[in-house]
Amino acid sequence: MSTTVLRPPLVRSADRVIAGVCAGLALHLGWPVRFIRIGMVVATLAGGAGLVFYAWLWIMVPTADESAKRNARRPASPIAPAVSGPLAAPSTQWSSTHQRGLPGLTGYPAQSGSSDSSAFAWLDPSGEKVFIDPSWPSGLPADVQASGASQSVSGMVRPTSGDGPAWFRFRRMPYAKEILLGIGLLLAGAILIARLLGVDVPLGTLIPAAAILGGASIAWMQLDETRRAGIVDKAKANQAGGWVRLAAGLALVVAGVLVMVSGSGSWEQTWLALLASVAVLGGVAVVLLPWGLKFWRDLETERAGRVRATERAEIAAHLHDSVLQTLALIQRRAGNEHDVVRLARAQERELRSWLYRDEGRDIGNLSERIKAVAAEVEDAHGQAVEVVNVGDTVMTERHEALVQASREAMLNAARHGGGSVSVYVEASDKEVEVFVKDRGAGFDLHKVPDDRLGVRESIIGRMKRHGGTAVINSGPEGTEVRLGLPAMAAEQGETTS
Amino acid sequence: MSSIEAEGVPAREGSVRVVLVDDHAIFRSGLKADLDSRISVVGEAGTVEQAIAVIAQTRPDVVLLDVHLPGGLGGGGREVIAGSIALLGTTRFLALSVSDAAEDVVAVIRAGARGYVTKTISGAEITDAVMRVAGGDAVFSPRLAGFVLDAFGTSPADIADDELDRLSARELEVMRLIARGYSYKEVAKELFISIKTVETHVSAVLRKLQLSSRHELTKWAAERRLL
Repeated sequence: MSTTVLRPPLVRSADRVIAGVCAGLALHLGWPVRFIRIGMVVATLAGGAGLVFYAWLWIMVPTADESAKRNARRPASPIAPAVSGPLAAPSTQWSSTHQRGLPGLTGYPAQSGSSDSSAFAWLDPSGEKVFIDPSWPSGLPADVQASGASQSVSGMVRPTSGDGPAWFRFRRMPYAKEILLGIGLLLAGAILIARLLGVDVPLGTLIPAAAILGGASIAWMQLDETRRAGIVDKAKANQAGGWVRLAAGLALVVAGVLVMVSGSGSWEQTWLALLASVAVLGGVAVVLLPWGLKFWRDLETERAGRVRATERAEIAAHLHDSVLQTLALIQRRAGNEHDVVRLARAQERELRSWLYRDEGRDIGNLSERIKAVAAEVEDAHGQAVEVVNVGDTVMTERHEALVQASREAMLNAARHGGGSVSVYVEASDKEVEVFVKDRGAGFDLHKVPDDRLGVRESIIGRMKRHGGTAVINSGPEGTEVRLGLPAMAAEQGETTS
Repeated sequence: MSSIEAEGVPAREGSVRVVLVDDHAIFRSGLKADLDSRISVVGEAGTVEQAIAVIAQTRPDVVLLDVHLPGGLGGGGREVIAGSIALLGTTRFLALSVSDAAEDVVAVIRAGARGYVTKTISGAEITDAVMRVAGGDAVFSPRLAGFVLDAFGTSPADIADDELDRLSARELEVMRLIARGYSYKEVAKELFISIKTVETHVSAVLRKLQLSSRHELTKWAAERRLL
């Protein structure tokens, strides 16, 4: 604890043989570089330890340039200052704060809090100075080691300062994680040496414990500050009671897993136990699955039912407004056959157009206009007018003339035909044709008096004026009016078929 | 036109055996009263299951089949035809509906029905249609003809086209006249051909309608949510 010498920061030297590690270390420690290199070679021969150490420093220690850049960005660099900075300050801080717990590690402070010991020795990871608390239980260092390892792996070692929640409100130790990492590595090393020396270290217990605590630390470190605070808050860990509860719970979990692992003694049995646990969980899932599916289906059924109910309400409203009203009217006029037929027919038409309406169809198109006219004729005369259309086209002034001529033909057919009227509309790119056919007695066009303008003017004359044709074909089995309207050059392409 | 329709009718006991399938009992009884003596009703059914059972049991010449039927899987008339597929060689189906919807009409025709008439037609016309279907011909209402023209297009077939995918010029003429409200006899007179030829053309169109996989038909049907 007496080394308060200010050392130059540990950086990889530019004067390098391989990566400048040894030269940098020598500069940092103030030793001749040759000693360091020989030491490295010797350590490498001793089970490759020197090689590992060299590689680790290579990865972790920045070059002089990188260090300069990093220092420009933020004052503290992760590892190098931890081992090169003023050592007295961290160690005194550590001894004064460790009772409250370490930042970033749950479960740990409660245990370490009791181990009030001043028997610290400080040693940096290069093996010079270590502080060791001899009163720590053997299981504990493993978690430190694991968390330290995870920190070095994630490279996110960033000493944070500031105020934590109430319970955590203590001065954050600078480089706490680096120190923990060092402790962990040293303990791991100590355990290995102890094993080499023949001391029986319960690895079967230590490794799982280290894995559990390491995993927990990694998970904890993935959380950002606010989420950590949220979790701490939810667990009420910022109050003394909650903190104890949480620690006790975690300790129980860890102890349970350790008992499971070490109690069985062998990994094979552990796997079996693990398998059994998975099987149990799977069984529970299988048991709960039908219930879950049923729940889901019920939800779907209910939703579908609601949609159906809405549709039903809409249909009911429409039927009430139209069909029921018409049926009431029909009952009142039951004596008048003509009215009944007309009402029934009108209602049928209305219902059909509602049921089979084509949402995409434009109202202003020719087929819709013809149908509207047919409906009008049907209402006026009580004769069914069936419209069949093939293709469609947008309305123009000339098409309006065609519609008027068709209307006239339908009126004549309904008036004189006596029976249903067939209307066929075919719209193509070249022309629009309308056929109006009835099954009446027919008439001779030449015998129609000259003062009757219906056929001559309204149908034939009108079509001719607009560049169309009108042919009337009448016989004893009925009359057919054929109207043709060729598309004008400018209108070609407007047809939608 | 009645004298000609009787041609080719199987002379089994002098009458055509018919099963009525409609879920409205009132309509069934009204229809039964409308059909004339050439037709004997041998069975009635109100649901898909009943219909399949009655058809299998009585093996009628013609089934007058409502498109919309309760029961079964909700397929209505289509499902009845599918359920009686083994009898399709001897029993013919004539679809009968109040529906104007293209999807109903074409779906039941593609399922195997030989014709389609609306319920508003008169008793004489429906007898006529039954006799014609019993004789192996197809019955096209003006509306069905309109649907066919809409689906296949109104321009005649090119030589390069698949035979199933387009109507020939003659078939188009026949379809157009039927859509205009012409009876078969009137079509024959208009085109200076025999009624038998008209019937042949109509049957050919029916076959194309049932078998064509023409993409425009598919597209047309898809637009009207068919297939």
